Amino acid sequence: MTLLDVVLELVIVVTAMLATATLVLVGPKRIAAAIRGYRWRLEACLLSIAALVVVLALRLSTRDVVRRLERRVIGHNITDDLFALEEQLFGETPVAILQSLQTEALTTFFVFIYIYGYAFLLLFPIIAYFALEEMDELSTLLLAFTANYGIGLLCYVLFIAYGPRNFDPMLFEGLLYDAFPQSHSLTGQVNQNTNVFPSLHTSLSMTVFFVAWVTRDRYPLWVPLSGFLAISVALSTMYLGIHWFSDVAAGTVLALISVYIGVNYTVDGLVATGRQYLGQRFDVLGKPGGE
Amino acid sequence: MDDVGATTTRRRVLTAATTGIAGALAGCTENLWSRAESPGPEQVSLTIKAVPADDDVVAAKIASKLRENFQAAGIDATFEPTAKAELYREVLLDGEYDVFVARCPELDEYDGLRGLLHSKYVSERGWQNPFHFSDVTVDELLESQLTSEGEEREQSLSELFEHLTETVPYAAVAFPHRIGATRDELSISVPPRESLDYAEIVSQEPDEGSREGPLEVGVFGEQLTGRLNPIVVDRNAISGLVELVYSPLVYRIDDEDVPWLADDVEWESGSRLRATVTLHDDSTWHDGESLDADDVAFTYQFLEDTSLGEAESGIPAPRYRSQQSLVENVAAVDDRTVEFTFETGTQSIAARALRVPLLPEHIWEPRSSIVGERQTEALVDDNEDPIGSGLFTVDDVTEDAEVELGLFDDHVFRDETADRPSILEDFPQFEGIRFQVAPNAGALVDLLAEGEVDLTGSPLPADETSTILENAELSALTEPTEEFYMIGYNGHHQELGYPNFRRILSRLIDREHAVDQIFAGFADPARTRGSLFGIKDTELAADEDTVITNFPGSDGEVDSSQVRSLFEDEGYGYDDGALLE
Repeated sequence: MTLLDVVLELVIVVTAMLATATLVLVGPKRIAAAIRGYRWRLEACLLSIAALVVVLALRLSTRDVVRRLERRVIGHNITDDLFALEEQLFGETPVAILQSLQTEALTTFFVFIYIYGYAFLLLFPIIAYFALEEMDELSTLLLAFTANYGIGLLCYVLFIAYGPRNFDPMLFEGLLYDAFPQSHSLTGQVNQNTNVFPSLHTSLSMTVFFVAWVTRDRYPLWVPLSGFLAISVALSTMYLGIHWFSDVAAGTVLALISVYIGVNYTVDGLVATGRQYLGQRFDVLGKPGGE
Repeated sequence: MDDVGATTTRRRVLTAATTGIAGALAGCTENLWSRAESPGPEQVSLTIKAVPADDDVVAAKIASKLRENFQAAGIDATFEPTAKAELYREVLLDGEYDVFVARCPELDEYDGLRGLLHSKYVSERGWQNPFHFSDVTVDELLESQLTSEGEEREQSLSELFEHLTETVPYAAVAFPHRIGATRDELSISVPPRESLDYAEIVSQEPDEGSREGPLEVGVFGEQLTGRLNPIVVDRNAISGLVELVYSPLVYRIDDEDVPWLADDVEWESGSRLRATVTLHDDSTWHDGESLDADDVAFTYQFLEDTSLGEAESGIPAPRYRSQQSLVENVAAVDDRTVEFTFETGTQSIAARALRVPLLPEHIWEPRSSIVGERQTEALVDDNEDPIGSGLFTVDDVTEDAEVELGLFDDHVFRDETADRPSILEDFPQFEGIRFQVAPNAGALVDLLAEGEVDLTGSPLPADETSTILENAELSALTEPTEEFYMIGYNGHHQELGYPNFRRILSRLIDREHAVDQIFAGFADPARTRGSLFGIKDTELAADEDTVITNFPGSDGEVDSSQVRSLFEDEGYGYDDGALLE
């Protein structure tokens, strides 16, 4: 299976999941309304989308620079610290405990959650919030995603950390790539194996769950569903030997910060503040002793 | 009432506490002062570096096992997984490490030890003395093995091994078997390892007849395609690829020297061993420039000093120095003839020097400019468009995805009437070689099963063999190698500077158990004095009676009290289970 096959399968499965969930949770009426009014809706959240795209593009285009900065210039390897911390706190690392429960069914479940469940969890709320009468929820979610990626990128530059499967293959198993080696071609496109602290899988999933909670009067059913999925994703990253417990904990904290930013700020507001600040500076510079 | 009671209690507690603290302080101020004035010995702390499991699962396992065993010995040991290119950079170039574990290429001759261990290389960067090891006796023995012959040389070598078991600058763990796989259409019996193996496969007709297309080779790893510079060490690479593009004067095939870019080599002994090398009449580089005697002389001068005299004390190449340093003088006599004078009288040693890949002067001479501290352009350049003189040219590189090699039509061995080496008798049966990069070993075996690739180029982990054996269209290939897993010590580290300390550390891996558990049986443990330093089968040091292989524990697990007494016998102290400096 090549990268293309893996992507194709991902698209088919996730589309089916999205279609079902949209019909059940959003309902035909709102879908129809959303399609009719797609133009103003897009316009309303254009800035948020642009911000997210900029951060994602930055992430992609700076891969080489980031890798050099991270590995050669800053070179702060914290892998052993994470391991030692968790052994001290828990006696045995949570990853080892989770992996000791290993069964074939559980592995299949977590591989499914890690790849397909995660993609669904991130995409569904975008559709669902798009179908609402106001774009506030969607803007909140997109800004929170943007914050996740931005702060995550900064952490990846600062810390080199390898996941459990890479650290000690005798204690921890790399279950994901044992069970589904081709998925590495997918995850490898998105991420490097030194970027595990914090877990973006966890932080983005938890972000979706927290935003679902904040906006629970819109889609009450989405709260338990997203909660179940988000916690499963967090557990799957550890069960599959990809992340440490610390990564998951840090990911959850990152989600809280991102949701706080998403709820309390808007991209328009941030841009306006930035303009105002620059304007003042410009004024001061332009007219010395002015005002 | 309540309030009054609470106040009383609080006051009492405060008084008691103050008295207590004052009393305690009176007793311990002296203690505190003395501690501050002369801090006691601290726990020995060591960081072990090796590649993560993604790159090499065996190296990561050995490093983890060492961490465990060092900890059981009371050492504050940590394991720092480091990507391959970065590991080489930190260990070989910057010397920023305490202990490292790495898979090392085989030593082609005893003399290879000279490059690894001679103290004159202590300040150089690269594979020459990365341990910062300096020992007068070792230097003398390395020099005498170089200049003496026959029994005298053997005597020096066996003394050398004996002395190394005392000083232990590094220690081998085991010699891995190389594991590979191929589709049955190809008749291959051993997994390819170096460039000649690929040249040989391309010379063999596959079952369906010669192919109008390349040989498809699958490899796995990260950052495999970015740097195609043949003289640097800080890179991850597809093994054999760069060497397919850059050829040497002479190859060693089945213990015989086969002239390659050289048409003929005339040896002449005397006070100094000399060799006159004649080049083929119409050799060219891949860009059409003529390959002449000046290129040959240039290559050796350039490896010795990549700044070509610009830097005050020279900036030698981090690779091939051990071979290049055998050449005392090299000079182009005319267009086609080069004369070598060697530092040794033994032809088998001197021949090592002729196995260095040649570099085109017109490309590399401009790269001699100094770009940083102890760096020349040649050592930082990625060499994206390699111009060599080998049988293959680099046609196309898709980053992190594939490298396409085409056939070099103007190579002298493409002329079927030429006197070709026997391994090239039916060359070529393919239109080149395409290396495809898979993200991991499992995905690589999948590519093979689906027929996307013909064979594997990266060594596979042992657990992939079961998948291969289940598939009727695939054959597993295994071959014992003389590559070895090395534990290297940084002599600049406070404790690692002591031979006694290194000797005990080198005992802290159960080699037989490791071969069983970590290598799944696909390796031969280092047992003899010779094999402990990377020379697998040598009669000169076949003695198995060495303390290094005597593991203080059983079944891979260190017995803390046994190690503790080993360290205590050498004068080390313990405090609460921690080994003190």
